[in-house]
Amino acid sequence: MPPVKIEHADVVLVQRHSNTTVTDKIAGVVLWSPTPKQWFVIIAIAFMVLQLLPFSLGNLVVQGIGLWGINSPVGWGFDIINFVWWIGIGHAGTLISAVLLLFRQEWRMAIARFAEAMTIFAVMCAGLYPVFHTGRPWLAYWLLPYPNTMALWPQPRSPLVWDVFAVSTYATVSILFWYVGLIPDLATMRDRAKGFGKYIYGFLALGWRGSAKHWHRYETASLLLAGLSTPLVLSVHSIVSFDFATGLIPGWHTTVFPPYFVAGAVFAGFAMVLTLAIPVRKWYGLEDFITDRHLENMAKVMFATGMIVCYGYFLEVFMAWYSGNEYEWAMLMNRVKGPYAAMYWALWICNGLSIQILWFKWARRSTTVLFIVSQFVSVGMWLERFVIIPMSIHRDFIPASWGMYYPTVFDWGTFIGSMGFFTFLMFLFIRGLPMISMFEIRTLVKRPAEANH
Amino acid sequence: MSSNHYIPDLSSFRNKAFFVGLAGVLVAVYGMTSNSEQFMRSYLLAFLFSLLIPVTCNGLLCLHHLVGGQWGILMRPLLEAGSRTLWINLLFSIPILLNVPALYEWARPEVVANDHILQNKAAWLNVHFWSWRIIFYFLVWILLGYYLNLYSNEQAAGRNEEETEAAKEKLRNLSGPGLVLHILTLTFAAFDLGMSLEPHWPSTMYGVLYLIGGALVTMAFMILVMRRLTVEAPMSHLVKVNHFRDWGTLLFAFVCLWAYVNFSQFLIIWSANLPEETPWYVKRTQGPWSTLAGCLMLFHFALPFLLLLIRFNKKKSAILGFIAAFMIVMKFLDLAWLIAPAFHEVEEAGHQFLHWLDVVTPVGLFGLWAGFFAYQLGRKSLMPVEAAKLPTGGHH
Repeated sequence: MPPVKIEHADVVLVQRHSNTTVTDKIAGVVLWSPTPKQWFVIIAIAFMVLQLLPFSLGNLVVQGIGLWGINSPVGWGFDIINFVWWIGIGHAGTLISAVLLLFRQEWRMAIARFAEAMTIFAVMCAGLYPVFHTGRPWLAYWLLPYPNTMALWPQPRSPLVWDVFAVSTYATVSILFWYVGLIPDLATMRDRAKGFGKYIYGFLALGWRGSAKHWHRYETASLLLAGLSTPLVLSVHSIVSFDFATGLIPGWHTTVFPPYFVAGAVFAGFAMVLTLAIPVRKWYGLEDFITDRHLENMAKVMFATGMIVCYGYFLEVFMAWYSGNEYEWAMLMNRVKGPYAAMYWALWICNGLSIQILWFKWARRSTTVLFIVSQFVSVGMWLERFVIIPMSIHRDFIPASWGMYYPTVFDWGTFIGSMGFFTFLMFLFIRGLPMISMFEIRTLVKRPAEANH
Repeated sequence: MSSNHYIPDLSSFRNKAFFVGLAGVLVAVYGMTSNSEQFMRSYLLAFLFSLLIPVTCNGLLCLHHLVGGQWGILMRPLLEAGSRTLWINLLFSIPILLNVPALYEWARPEVVANDHILQNKAAWLNVHFWSWRIIFYFLVWILLGYYLNLYSNEQAAGRNEEETEAAKEKLRNLSGPGLVLHILTLTFAAFDLGMSLEPHWPSTMYGVLYLIGGALVTMAFMILVMRRLTVEAPMSHLVKVNHFRDWGTLLFAFVCLWAYVNFSQFLIIWSANLPEETPWYVKRTQGPWSTLAGCLMLFHFALPFLLLLIRFNKKKSAILGFIAAFMIVMKFLDLAWLIAPAFHEVEEAGHQFLHWLDVVTPVGLFGLWAGFFAYQLGRKSLMPVEAAKLPTGGHH
């Protein structure tokens, strides 16, 4: 197929489709169109990288978390950095599917399914870290308050315990939301699949027949789930920020953390959606559905949240000076010219400087620019967590206890392995389920009489 | 649509506002003769309360030009009128600029001489630099409001699509940097005017409290104005039930965000329990302040949260107007809770409460401001510039 030329990139759907062609195109990706060779390449690489995960985690379980680089004074290293990074990446999905649904934004339709899948896989990756950080992951259920004979009860004042509830609620609601939104499309797949696939999609479609009653219930359910998810956009990352902010450490203890973490999460999440959506829409020729308008809107959200994040960085710097507190000032100086200063400056370049190009419309419309900026942001948001977590604790109040933190090969193995895990799941999803919501896109198709406008 | 020009007759409202404002100011001046210290404290509260709405008008206008949406099309002329009142607030600031040491302990040399931390902060917290900063903020706000109005007029006066598009482009290009400026200047104005009352206490969240609080009170105030304007044609035809619902939803969002940022700040400070931070809350949770804090939780958050959750309440402009008026009062009490206890030591805070001047002075200043707002509202047509984007059909 020759590359698709976009004439009306300023729309949420290029209007040369009927209901049938929309369904054919999206369902076809899974059911009959030839799979692009890039898919095989990516999933093969992802599968190989994924092998790092059983290797590093298996060793960890057998030998203990001493394999990681964490030690006194840095007790939180890659495990917490990557946990926060992955949780943040998931936030784009929730924002797109919940908040934008409530605001009746049409442009969410084409990217919501994709971003929601990303949320679920990112939360799965995030969940690995605290569970394995316990050292004995088979006892992770001790984190839950349940009646037992060991007199165990989680400390309700600990934000780490709030995390258990926040993240598990988040995972549950995200999966429910995603699945409920899939049901009408699963029924479409059932009706079009041949052979064994028919039974699988039929089983998953829960007997959907598309009756008015079904649609009515569907609409109610998705609105309720959107209402439930909206506070989760704020709460999950706020609670993650409390892990640090409720403590006493300069660099951790600052009141603006909750909104600034939430903005950072959405920022990182949209960077990841762009990272995946730009190549995938090209390989599958989906430019009619994920138009330049979608990319531009995502760039705008990324830019706005990025600016909020910069507001947070700026306030941290200002307050370190304004507070007149010598420990806050020492923390800032350690960032600016301490042993990890390069990472602090790289953070400003990635998250502060690189996004300034998005002031310009041409940049927001250029897939190349957006893809590059997204890479900067993903790296920058990882650096942000590095700057906050180990850099704040590696030099505490007593110079005698200062130390450095270096990740080990097992830290890197787990991190890179989780990226492989995430990519593998994403590409399995693209291959097995309709990545764009067919029934929602069909509502955007104009009837011939309207299309002339 | 009958005509493109509509100016409501708000003279009676304007006169009433001026009358109440003047009466309030006169009574406050009478109070000043017996207790000038308290008068300045009340005056700062009044100044901040009357400042929040016009400043936030700029911010909401920028937001609207950037993201669009039905909520802003009709509200735009009102917000523009609000931002045209900012020079009045600059006049209001003169007594504060002349009496900095009466309000701020960092401006009293005898206090700074005995305070190591204040000496560290003297580079930022000194009368000269501080006063110039306040004037600078006003300059930014007035200029931003001026250009937002100028380009909007150009858009309204555009004879063809090219001209209106060019003006719209100007508005969009201004609004991005404008919003950044609004957020930064209001944050620092909040630090300077409010937070530095207790110069030992820093909180990075403090500016956000004013950004969100400002959006909340501005939305509430504009809903009330809309409620008054939709009594008669043509606004009664233009404004649909769904507009009130959208405004109510925004009010609801700001109510939730207000609770979110306040609770977050409280939780972080309470958990850490640091001696330089907790006094701020200890003062505000003693004696009558504690009752006020409880009232704020109940009536600034819980009650409006429940009421605005119900769609019926947002669609009925009478009910929504009532909730909006209630929120303005609650926002005033919230501001009073932030500002007034700052003037007392921790030990004595529990024995003090709002002075009668803390009520009369804000009523006076806010009344005067509202009068000027009504005057500005009458200077330009309230017909939305982008009326074509409004839905047709349906009744109010």
